[in-house]
Amino acid sequence: MKYAFYPGCVSRGGCPELYTAATKVAGRLGIQLDELKDVACNGAGVLPKYISDPINARTLAKAERMGETLMTICSTCTGVLGAANLRFKEEPEYREEINRDYLAEEGLEYKGTIEVKHLLWVLFEDYGIDKLKAEVRRPLKGLKVSPFYGCFMRRPPEVVTPTKEYAGRKNYLEDLIDAMGAELTDFSGKGKCCGFPILTANLENSQAMTAKHTGEAKQKGADCMVTPCPLCHLSLDGQQAGAAKAQGAAIDLPILHLPQFVGLALGFSPGDLDLKRHMVSTKEVENQVSMLT
Amino acid sequence: MEVTFKVYRKEPGEGTKPGRSDYKLELGSDATVLDGLLKIRDEIDGTLGFRASCLRGYCGECTIRANGKSCFSCTTRVSSLTQKAPEVTVDPVRNMPVVKDLVSDWDTFLWNKIDRIQPWLEPSATPANGESIMPDSVMAGVRKAMSCYYCGLCDEGCTVLPVDFGFIGPAALTKAYRFVFDLRDTMTRKRFKFVEDAKGLWDCVHCFEASEHCPRGIGPTERIMDLRDKAFQLGIQNPRAARHHYSFADSIKKSGVLDEGKLAVESEGLTNIRGLLRLLPIAARALRRGKAPIPYMHHKSPGAAQVRRIIEKAEEKHR
Repeated sequence: MKYAFYPGCVSRGGCPELYTAATKVAGRLGIQLDELKDVACNGAGVLPKYISDPINARTLAKAERMGETLMTICSTCTGVLGAANLRFKEEPEYREEINRDYLAEEGLEYKGTIEVKHLLWVLFEDYGIDKLKAEVRRPLKGLKVSPFYGCFMRRPPEVVTPTKEYAGRKNYLEDLIDAMGAELTDFSGKGKCCGFPILTANLENSQAMTAKHTGEAKQKGADCMVTPCPLCHLSLDGQQAGAAKAQGAAIDLPILHLPQFVGLALGFSPGDLDLKRHMVSTKEVENQVSMLT
Repeated sequence: MEVTFKVYRKEPGEGTKPGRSDYKLELGSDATVLDGLLKIRDEIDGTLGFRASCLRGYCGECTIRANGKSCFSCTTRVSSLTQKAPEVTVDPVRNMPVVKDLVSDWDTFLWNKIDRIQPWLEPSATPANGESIMPDSVMAGVRKAMSCYYCGLCDEGCTVLPVDFGFIGPAALTKAYRFVFDLRDTMTRKRFKFVEDAKGLWDCVHCFEASEHCPRGIGPTERIMDLRDKAFQLGIQNPRAARHHYSFADSIKKSGVLDEGKLAVESEGLTNIRGLLRLLPIAARALRRGKAPIPYMHHKSPGAAQVRRIIEKAEEKHR
């Protein structure tokens, strides 16, 4: 299994532990990651489409030239690249215009033939959850885990669940928690916004969202939360202390990146997966995991 | 079929306590939730307050929550809600102050917010032949926005309104789109001033809940993103949003990848001492946790020059 790997800015910036965990887990599972190194940030919904679409067409063209599905480890990268890809596939005239005006000069062309997939989708749709389950060396028995998707892993439907075949994507995290031997702690905010997009525009509202979701999961008994989105992680982990302070009550809920969670079940140590780099201490989770070995 | 409606009840006035009343009903197999509510009002309790008008899902007046999910009471079959148990909970929509029972205060919820964006067209002089021609490509989006019948379901699904009722909400922003993208309108800059105000355009988290909740396929979230793109192109007037967005763009233009450290500082503003001081504890903790290398270094994509060329070309084309 080979993928054109698009790690995204945050896994190479504010969440370096995600890059470490993702590459280690992929290596263990025999998933070959051919990293796209000379491409750009996809715009993350901040850059207007008239700028992000051409640079995303360039990224997609490079992955297409490698003949591989583009794999991300970020919900936002998946959503923004996925939406651009859909426009290029559904509007051939628009795609031709982008090719002609922006890519031809570099000798590139995007034909609209590849898919954009998050690692979570790859694990279920390409690798297979039963095969992954068979790789588990340390079932995370007794660890209570709440899922947190990130908006772009749930919506919009034309990108996330374009046909009935993909309907399961809305439940992959719950299924993964079960497959890794952990215990699901469900809560109402799992598909909502973490608050990250308005972190600079309105810190108060952003932190209120962070506090609401982490607080609810904690109150329901979760030991930790798992997310496939590093931007959600920046809010749920990075802003959690500030959010707790603003609401006047401690939360202290460790937030794991998706490959860290899978990595723990595959038998990697917390040190291998860089859990020490989190803003909210993961000590309790590490203690629980250490009892399982 | 026999079914119990568990209906939210609240008398008007501040300080009145809400409760829930149970009504046992005998309904036909094809009955809607509205049929049930009408039966309660006509045969059991004439004081039950709710809204409805067209009875066929066209006017958007009868928005409620049935079994916790927002819907129109007139098009939602009771049989679709009673598969697990012969009970239906009926509540007013979220994010809206309740006047009585299932009737909510639409002034504070919607109309006052739509007022903020000055919802009328200010056209330039009519051409001599009396026609203002708009291309289909432009009309497609405007027509979609014009098909809104203000049911409020996009605001009901909004994830910002539960934490900040003052947020303008997707319905009003979709209304703003309708005028901003109408080529006849002459007050775009002025309108953007209102749209970009505090608790306006830049407070939206673009979570796509609004689009998922819209029964008309208008795509309020996509319309909001189009508004943002337009604001970026014309020059963002909200100073905080401007600093953030143009710093982001500058970062990608220079190195191909986002410089998060620079973005955090520039978004606060280089002269905003209070804002910068607020960043310090988080930055110190992040450095202590090994979130960023010391000294802080930002890497550059090997394709940065080509990315820059593309961005400059796109900016030139859309100037």
